[in-house]
Amino acid sequence: MAGRQGRSARLLDLRPGWKAFVNPWLLRIANNPERLAFIMHRVTGVIASLFLFLHIISTNVPAREGWEAWREEVMNLQGLTLTSILFYIAMGAILFHGLNGTRLILAEALALGIGRPEKPKPPYIAPLLRGFQRTLLYATFVLWIILWALLGYVMFFT
Amino acid sequence: MAIFDARAAVMIPPRKVKFLIRRYNPEEGRSWWQEYEVETYRGMTVLDALLKIKEEIDHTLVLRYSCRMAVCGSCGMIINGTPRLACQTQVAEVASEARPVVKVEPMYNFKVIRDLVVDFTEFFEKHRRVKPYLIRRDVEERENPKYEYRLLPEEYESFYQYSLCIACGLCVSACPVFASDRRFLGPQALAQAYRFIIDPRDEGWAERLEIVDSEDGVFGCHLAASCSAVCPKEVDPGAAIQRLRSLLLRYRLGLWKKKISGPVGPLEKKAERKPLPPEAETLPGVSLEELEESEVEIPVDELIAG
Repeated sequence: MAGRQGRSARLLDLRPGWKAFVNPWLLRIANNPERLAFIMHRVTGVIASLFLFLHIISTNVPAREGWEAWREEVMNLQGLTLTSILFYIAMGAILFHGLNGTRLILAEALALGIGRPEKPKPPYIAPLLRGFQRTLLYATFVLWIILWALLGYVMFFT
Repeated sequence: MAIFDARAAVMIPPRKVKFLIRRYNPEEGRSWWQEYEVETYRGMTVLDALLKIKEEIDHTLVLRYSCRMAVCGSCGMIINGTPRLACQTQVAEVASEARPVVKVEPMYNFKVIRDLVVDFTEFFEKHRRVKPYLIRRDVEERENPKYEYRLLPEEYESFYQYSLCIACGLCVSACPVFASDRRFLGPQALAQAYRFIIDPRDEGWAERLEIVDSEDGVFGCHLAASCSAVCPKEVDPGAAIQRLRSLLLRYRLGLWKKKISGPVGPLEKKAERKPLPPEAETLPGVSLEELEESEVEIPVDELIAG
């Protein structure tokens, strides 16, 4: 329609579909690192699926073209810096997805660490945001950074 | 969310604040940002400022509001990128001397009707779908009730928080899942479904569980917890959905059984007033029996004079 242009125009009528996908990035909500984890979980999920897809293709090479072709392909790819960087990113994504996924399974399927219902009282912070899952979330971020850095050290400096 | 910010109520906002309002005209199909400058005062809310704009600067600005005290849930808006109630947000909270700008937009995930007014049809449709009322099988009992239904204090506390919902739509507006899946029931409807499913007075839990047991229902939630973070009444829909999902899984595995309470029935014996024990004296020299018999006099004139 006339007059609608640019990024802000998307805010007006968020339709179902890929355009609405930008919504999580546009809001600013205080005291809500779960939202950041949600976004990262989606992004890392996409990266992990792409990696899995490529992994299946590359492991399918011996069946299609024989072991010699596969060895040649692996030898060609192994030496490249780009390959190891992409591999490193994929590993980081899978690591985060796994760690955060554990927290989500605990909270979603078993309802663990989400606080208990209470009568609202000041300063009105919901029990979910004060529950043990929040601690697990911070632990997820810290563990992820440590493990990923460790992996980087092992991959690039040893 | 620290929506209840006691410091904000005594903070003084910048003297002049620029309001950037996202406007939409359906007749022309045109939407644009419009700028207004408002003189503020201490304790001014965003809703006050919008009404001041409507009264003094631009009569064509359209917004929905009613109670002005965070009870009715009509004035949900996106204020500086955060879904909030305009009546509950102090201008001093969102504008500072360094940046005296307040951006106001209609709520996301809703169809805009005009300016800041959004369409709640879909929202209430979903609320209606989870049957947000008590269902009883015994029609005769329901139509001609003799006694109230039993409800223990701990059972009451388990769902009291979820029954505070004012249907303002802020949780739906903040939900990132709802943004990409419009068939998703949304945090508000699911929290209300949970509130009625665990109510011991309710007998319609099985049909409600069937409604929420789908990927558009309870399994659509991915715990972004934004609904709980923006809720102005601390309803905590995020936790309600996780509880509902866990309950549903246990129910499917045969591990959950609904407790149903019936009418209380007549009291077994009439309660009697117990006589006071002889040692029941609060102050030395004062007997409670005498106090009970004597009339209470409050020296109002002395209190006013003194």
